[in-house]
Amino acid sequence: MSEFTFASSQPGQVQEIDQSDETKSDRPWIVIVWNDPINLMSYVTFVFQKLFGYSLEKATELMLDVHHKGRAVVSSGSRERAEFDVYRLHEHGLWATLEHESL
Amino acid sequence: MGDFGARVVVKNNGPVFRLKNGNYRIDLATDHRKLLTQLVEQLRDSLATTTDDANLRRLFPTAYNNDAKKDAEYQRLMRDELLESRLAAIDVTIKVIAQDDEISAEEIDAFARSINSLRLVLGTTLDIAESDYGSQSDTQQSDDSDSDEASEADEFLIQKELYEYLGWLLEWTVGAQSSGL
Repeated sequence: MSEFTFASSQPGQVQEIDQSDETKSDRPWIVIVWNDPINLMSYVTFVFQKLFGYSLEKATELMLDVHHKGRAVVSSGSRERAEFDVYRLHEHGLWATLEHESL
Repeated sequence: MGDFGARVVVKNNGPVFRLKNGNYRIDLATDHRKLLTQLVEQLRDSLATTTDDANLRRLFPTAYNNDAKKDAEYQRLMRDELLESRLAAIDVTIKVIAQDDEISAEEIDAFARSINSLRLVLGTTLDIAESDYGSQSDTQQSDDSDSDEASEADEFLIQKELYEYLGWLLEWTVGAQSSGL
């Protein structure tokens, strides 16, 4: 069986289940946004508000974490949810990745 | 990240603003509309040709940093969908730029994403780094009179101006959108 887990938005597509990941850990997946020198700070803040419903204060805090620390965790949850969030962030031109939350 | 906003002169009326009914207007001169259309059409043509060009890499980022296999599978499933989303946004943007009517929240969103896509590509082409912000016209010009080098420097200057212009336009667009949150 494939290692990949992905729930496609396309109807009729077979969803493959990653048993190794599911049995490996119950840790949630986290979505990380990475700093880049091109995206505007105001744009990144707006995208966080729009996609995740964060307040201006929370979105600004996350944006500043990205800017100063190089990365920020913007959401977490199931792998399916994290992949969806990553896709939406990519749609908006932000560099986002997902990974298992560290212990 | 770029802090373009700190360098934008605050004006009461920018090129993009939100109306009381929740729609938006873009107030741009005809030559600016033509320029934007040309740039967005060039991006559309580039995307239609290939998504593997190095200058387009920021439009198709990796999703799994430390797992090439998972990332390859993610890209296999999602890259085309991301491409279609970008092309659809570009189509809306071309329509929006061509008209002088009110535009919807969905249309201004597509416009903002397309302008940002252009900045990402231009910024990649220009090899923009964090330290570049605030440095006006830090060009690659040299005293060498070689015409090829002069031409390259001119091209760099033009692209840098376009990059700055798109940043200014996006800043106003985001400001208008934020006022509607």
